[in-house]
Amino acid sequence: MAEVLEIIEHHTHHQLPTPDNGEGGEKSPMNISYGKTMMWYFLLSDAFTFSAFLIAYACLRLGHKWWPNPNDVFNAMPFMGHHRIPMGFVSIMTFILIMSSVFVVRAVQEGHRMNKKGVMFWMIWGILGGAAFLGCQAWEWQHLLAEGMRPFYNVFHEGKDGATVLWNIHEQGKPLFSPGPVAFGALFFGITGFHGFHVFTGVCLNIWGFFATANGTFERRGHYEMIEKLGLYWHFVDLVWVFVFLAFYLM
Amino acid sequence: MSDHQLTDEEYKAQVAGVWKVTVILSIVTVVEVAAALILGPHLPKWIMNPFYAIASIAKAFFIIGEFMHLKYEKRVFMLSLGLPLFFLLWAIIAFGIEGNYLHKLLYLIK
Repeated sequence: MAEVLEIIEHHTHHQLPTPDNGEGGEKSPMNISYGKTMMWYFLLSDAFTFSAFLIAYACLRLGHKWWPNPNDVFNAMPFMGHHRIPMGFVSIMTFILIMSSVFVVRAVQEGHRMNKKGVMFWMIWGILGGAAFLGCQAWEWQHLLAEGMRPFYNVFHEGKDGATVLWNIHEQGKPLFSPGPVAFGALFFGITGFHGFHVFTGVCLNIWGFFATANGTFERRGHYEMIEKLGLYWHFVDLVWVFVFLAFYLM
Repeated sequence: MSDHQLTDEEYKAQVAGVWKVTVILSIVTVVEVAAALILGPHLPKWIMNPFYAIASIAKAFFIIGEFMHLKYEKRVFMLSLGLPLFFLLWAIIAFGIEGNYLHKLLYLIK
């Protein structure tokens, strides 16, 4: 009996040398672990989802006669009162997200060296960056909602010479229907909301990763591959923001 | 993931590489925003938009290549991720043309 168990253990824990019969399967042709491969393919599918949204945005925006100018819509800054700073706040948000991504890369690198303290240190900064980004987005949404923007109602409409003007309900009265292109609100809240949801998910996963590191889970496992997978997801969130930034704020 | 222990030189080179890419990403972003503020109001959209698009795609390559480490993976793996994205090229062209057509249909043809 003991012999049988020994044989079973041998077969399940150690890879037997297989003869090269030309069928393949002896080694991974991509030289990348299962977990990381699957994370990459999940991100590929997510890239298609985001692309579908952004392509719909491009199609609708091109189809309209007029579209709100981002410099006139996204120009508010916290603590600056009524000073208008086009692109200011969103540039800060972009920078925060890039830095957060860099911190997580550093965590992955420390993971390669099995440096538990280093992983924890950089994960904390990555999490703080993500949380700061979410805070900024909450502020921006709140500001737009206060201006009267809704997912299916757009207060930014075409003024003289195509200028972007905020509908003044006191002077112009209650409009019959949305003054500006409705799709602007739907796409803005929809796409930045979906991206924000990804950021939120990433922050939650990174917090879990931090505590798992602190508990020594990965140290016992002998590798920090989980931090690499969390990192892949986190960089993807940064990557999507590059294109959200392009579509909504730059173009 | 390589199983061998990193030497200090390799580690230092990797860390330096990451900070270099950080600087590049920041500079490209600053240039994009500066262009949007300074040149944006004066130049037509058909010049500015391709510029932003190219700058963003460059940023994407740096993020994917260095941060997501794809540059160091096997070529076949890169292709398995990159080739499906070619479908997007079709979608962007098709929906762009359709958007332009809708624009003409609704506003230009009386």
